[in-house]
Amino acid sequence: MTNDTDLEAEIQRLLTEHDRIAEQGITVQRRDHLIVLGGEVESSQRRDEICKQITTHFPELEITCDIGITRAQAPSEVEEIS
Amino acid sequence: MIRIAAVGDVHVDKDVVGRYRPALEELPDRADALLIAGDLTRHGTVDEAKCFAEEFGGLGVPVVVVLGNHDHQSDQQDELTRAIEDAGITVLEGSATVLEIRGHRLGIAGTKGFGGGFAGACASNFGEREMKDFVGTAERYADDLERALKSVECDALVALTHYSPVPETLVGEPLEIYAFLGCYQLGRSIDAAHAALALHGHAHHGSERGRTPGGVPVRNVAHPVIKQAYNVYQLLSDEVDTTLIGAR
Repeated sequence: MTNDTDLEAEIQRLLTEHDRIAEQGITVQRRDHLIVLGGEVESSQRRDEICKQITTHFPELEITCDIGITRAQAPSEVEEIS
Repeated sequence: MIRIAAVGDVHVDKDVVGRYRPALEELPDRADALLIAGDLTRHGTVDEAKCFAEEFGGLGVPVVVVLGNHDHQSDQQDELTRAIEDAGITVLEGSATVLEIRGHRLGIAGTKGFGGGFAGACASNFGEREMKDFVGTAERYADDLERALKSVECDALVALTHYSPVPETLVGEPLEIYAFLGCYQLGRSIDAAHAALALHGHAHHGSERGRTPGGVPVRNVAHPVIKQAYNVYQLLSDEVDTTLIGAR
């Protein structure tokens, strides 16, 4: 049986190596009986796919998803480099 | 005055096409060029590269990019590069380009870079062949960057990488993975060439600002860090002007 530490590693590898996900910027945090996913992705489809694949591969886990969609608005300020 | 826009880690695929475009359409009024610090695609396929070219091509300003580790995932980096260059976008890898901007010469030298770590926690060129290959790869990218930086004559020199040249812009990432996010050799190359600015991506949970040991400003422009379509940096300022109107 996979221990908690290895479980988080296995989830991280799934997030990176699964060809429908390929995300390296997702955080995986363990709460009492809960896995909390964090970070940002480029589309809602990618967020939904992450939750779907983790649920499929780890059906015994209770997942909560705090993954956001990175904003893509134009900036309003410029930084002077000196 | 030169204004450059920059972002990294846009990870374009079909589901992202059109997301950046409204902000990019405004870019010619805000900056003179757009620099993209790698991870242009998700899996490094040619189809994804074409999506990237569709999203970031034809902007009315020069676009200069380096590849990231995601762009190598399918071992199609040469084909991917050609697809992006076909859209008029300049791809740098151990090479440089000079843009003429309102009487100034902006030099940009770029490389993907590699990991290896930083002072106090860096890999050494010692032991197993695999470890020596790892460190040797980092050193080769850094050497190529230094040569490229020193090859250009310009008024302002910018180093563009995917991996980080300093640890300061990694703050927020787990310490355990710093060695996979950048290496000090890149910073040494940037200092040796006296660049005016260094831009990188890769560290989605990192920090925005840092400096090399030699004092060169470093900015982590990974999209999840800057949280907007691109940042704008002003070089060679005649006067302090932090509004984003009338860059041209």
